[in-house]
Amino acid sequence: MMTLLTIVLCAGILISALLATYLERRVAAVISAGLVGLFASVTYVILSAPDVAMTEAAIGSGITTVVFLFALSKTKEQPDE
Amino acid sequence: MAESIFNLAMIIIMIAIGLGVYRLVKGPTVVDRVIALDLLTLISIALIVMIAHLTSRYIYIDVALVYGLLSFLSVLAVARYLERGL
Repeated sequence: MMTLLTIVLCAGILISALLATYLERRVAAVISAGLVGLFASVTYVILSAPDVAMTEAAIGSGITTVVFLFALSKTKEQPDE
Repeated sequence: MAESIFNLAMIIIMIAIGLGVYRLVKGPTVVDRVIALDLLTLISIALIVMIAHLTSRYIYIDVALVYGLLSFLSVLAVARYLERGL
Protein backbone atom coordinates (compact mmCIF):
# COMPACT_ATOMS: atom_id res chain seq x y z
CA MET A 1 0.00 0.00 0.00
CA MET A 2 2.86 2.35 0.79
CA THR A 3 4.48 1.54 -2.56
CA LEU A 4 1.27 2.45 -4.40
CA LEU A 5 1.07 5.69 -2.42
CA THR A 6 4.65 6.54 -3.39
CA ILE A 7 3.84 5.88 -7.05
CA VAL A 8 0.79 8.19 -6.86
CA LEU A 9 2.83 10.94 -5.20
CA CYS A 10 5.66 10.68 -7.74
CA ALA A 11 3.11 10.82 -10.57
CA GLY A 12 1.75 13.97 -8.93
CA ILE A 13 5.25 15.46 -8.86
CA LEU A 14 5.73 14.67 -12.56
CA ILE A 15 2.35 16.06 -13.61
CA SER A 16 2.84 19.24 -11.58
CA ALA A 17 6.33 19.82 -12.96
CA LEU A 18 5.18 19.30 -16.55
CA LEU A 19 2.23 21.61 -15.93
CA ALA A 20 4.53 24.29 -14.54
CA THR A 21 6.41 24.32 -17.83
CA TYR A 22 3.43 24.09 -20.20
CA LEU A 23 0.95 26.53 -18.66
CA GLU A 24 0.48 29.89 -20.31
CA ARG A 25 -0.62 31.97 -17.32
CA ARG A 26 2.37 32.63 -15.09
CA VAL A 27 0.38 32.63 -11.86
CA ALA A 28 -0.88 29.12 -12.65
CA ALA A 29 2.69 28.02 -13.37
CA VAL A 30 3.80 29.39 -9.98
CA ILE A 31 0.97 27.47 -8.28
CA SER A 32 2.04 24.26 -10.03
CA ALA A 33 5.66 24.83 -8.98
CA GLY A 34 4.49 25.18 -5.38
CA LEU A 35 2.61 21.92 -5.70
CA VAL A 36 5.82 20.11 -6.62
CA GLY A 37 7.22 21.09 -3.21
CA LEU A 38 4.06 19.88 -1.50
CA PHE A 39 4.22 16.39 -3.02
CA ALA A 40 7.98 16.23 -2.46
CA SER A 41 7.43 17.03 1.22
CA VAL A 42 5.05 14.09 1.66
CA THR A 43 7.53 11.88 -0.19
CA TYR A 44 10.26 12.92 2.24
CA VAL A 45 8.01 11.90 5.14
CA ILE A 46 7.55 8.48 3.54
CA LEU A 47 11.33 8.23 3.15
CA SER A 48 11.54 8.86 6.95
CA ALA A 49 13.19 12.27 6.83
CA PRO A 50 10.85 14.56 8.80
CA ASP A 51 13.34 17.44 9.15
CA VAL A 52 13.85 17.64 5.39
CA ALA A 53 10.09 17.51 4.95
CA MET A 54 9.61 20.36 7.43
CA THR A 55 12.18 22.52 5.63
CA GLU A 56 10.62 21.71 2.27
CA ALA A 57 7.18 22.65 3.58
CA ALA A 58 8.44 25.98 4.91
CA ILE A 59 10.75 26.98 2.07
CA GLY A 60 9.73 25.08 -1.04
CA SER A 61 6.01 25.51 -0.83
CA GLY A 62 5.57 28.60 1.35
CA ILE A 63 8.29 31.14 0.74
CA THR A 64 9.03 30.32 -2.91
CA THR A 65 5.46 30.99 -4.04
CA VAL A 66 5.36 34.33 -2.22
CA VAL A 67 8.75 35.39 -3.65
CA PHE A 68 7.72 34.38 -7.18
CA LEU A 69 4.46 36.29 -6.92
CA PHE A 70 6.25 39.33 -5.52
CA ALA A 71 8.60 39.21 -8.50
CA LEU A 72 5.65 38.78 -10.88
CA SER A 73 3.91 41.80 -9.44
CA LYS A 74 7.02 43.87 -10.20
CA THR A 75 6.84 43.00 -13.91
CA LYS A 76 3.94 44.65 -15.69
CA GLU A 77 4.13 43.16 -19.17
CA GLN A 78 1.39 40.57 -18.68
CA PRO A 79 -2.17 41.89 -18.48
CA ASP A 80 -4.40 40.44 -15.79
CA GLU A 81 -7.58 38.74 -16.91
CA MET B 1 -10.29 -4.57 11.31
CA ALA B 2 -8.25 -1.46 11.96
CA GLU B 3 -5.82 -2.31 9.18
CA SER B 4 -8.60 -2.67 6.62
CA ILE B 5 -10.01 0.67 7.69
CA PHE B 6 -6.61 2.26 7.21
CA ASN B 7 -6.25 0.64 3.80
CA LEU B 8 -9.66 2.00 2.81
CA ALA B 9 -8.72 5.47 4.04
CA MET B 10 -5.47 5.30 2.09
CA ILE B 11 -7.34 4.35 -1.09
CA ILE B 12 -9.77 7.23 -0.54
CA ILE B 13 -6.85 9.63 -0.06
CA MET B 14 -5.22 8.42 -3.27
CA ILE B 15 -8.48 8.94 -5.19
CA ALA B 16 -8.70 12.43 -3.69
CA ILE B 17 -5.15 13.21 -4.82
CA GLY B 18 -6.09 12.07 -8.32
CA LEU B 19 -9.19 14.26 -8.38
CA GLY B 20 -7.26 17.28 -7.10
CA VAL B 21 -4.54 16.84 -9.71
CA TYR B 22 -7.26 16.46 -12.37
CA ARG B 23 -8.77 19.78 -11.34
CA LEU B 24 -5.31 21.33 -11.38
CA VAL B 25 -4.69 20.11 -14.93
CA LYS B 26 -8.16 20.82 -16.28
CA GLY B 27 -9.10 23.96 -14.40
CA PRO B 28 -9.81 26.78 -16.85
CA THR B 29 -9.15 29.71 -14.55
CA VAL B 30 -6.46 30.44 -12.01
CA VAL B 31 -8.99 30.36 -9.16
CA ASP B 32 -9.70 26.67 -9.87
CA ARG B 33 -6.01 25.95 -9.54
CA VAL B 34 -5.78 27.89 -6.27
CA ILE B 35 -8.65 25.82 -4.89
CA ALA B 36 -6.90 22.66 -6.09
CA LEU B 37 -3.70 23.75 -4.29
CA ASP B 38 -5.61 24.35 -1.05
CA LEU B 39 -7.40 21.00 -1.37
CA LEU B 40 -4.17 19.11 -2.00
CA THR B 41 -2.55 20.82 0.99
CA LEU B 42 -5.36 19.60 3.25
CA ILE B 43 -5.11 16.09 1.77
CA SER B 44 -1.36 16.11 2.37
CA ILE B 45 -1.81 17.09 6.03
CA ALA B 46 -4.23 14.19 6.53
CA LEU B 47 -1.85 11.85 4.70
CA ILE B 48 1.14 12.86 6.86
CA VAL B 49 -0.84 12.25 10.06
CA MET B 50 -1.95 8.86 8.72
CA ILE B 51 1.64 7.90 7.87
CA ALA B 52 2.67 8.95 11.40
CA HIS B 53 0.08 6.62 12.84
CA LEU B 54 0.87 3.74 10.51
CA THR B 55 4.62 3.82 11.14
CA SER B 56 4.20 4.64 14.87
CA ARG B 57 6.59 7.57 14.64
CA TYR B 58 4.73 10.45 16.21
CA ILE B 59 7.47 12.97 15.41
CA TYR B 60 5.90 13.16 11.95
CA ILE B 61 2.90 14.96 13.40
CA ASP B 62 5.16 18.00 13.87
CA VAL B 63 5.61 18.12 10.10
CA ALA B 64 1.85 18.20 9.64
CA LEU B 65 1.63 20.93 12.31
CA VAL B 66 4.19 23.12 10.54
CA TYR B 67 2.46 22.47 7.24
CA GLY B 68 -0.90 23.47 8.66
CA LEU B 69 0.58 26.67 10.04
CA LEU B 70 2.22 27.64 6.76
CA SER B 71 -0.33 26.38 4.25
CA PHE B 72 -2.46 29.50 4.24
CA LEU B 73 0.48 31.65 3.16
CA SER B 74 0.69 30.71 -0.51
CA VAL B 75 -3.08 30.76 -1.02
CA LEU B 76 -3.23 34.18 0.65
CA ALA B 77 -0.42 35.48 -1.56
CA VAL B 78 -2.09 34.25 -4.76
CA ALA B 79 -5.46 35.71 -3.73
CA ARG B 80 -3.90 39.07 -2.96
CA TYR B 81 -1.98 39.01 -6.24
CA LEU B 82 -5.15 38.28 -8.22
CA GLU B 83 -7.05 41.09 -6.56
CA ARG B 84 -4.69 44.04 -6.63
CA GLY B 85 -1.15 42.82 -7.10
CA LEU B 86 0.77 41.97 -3.91
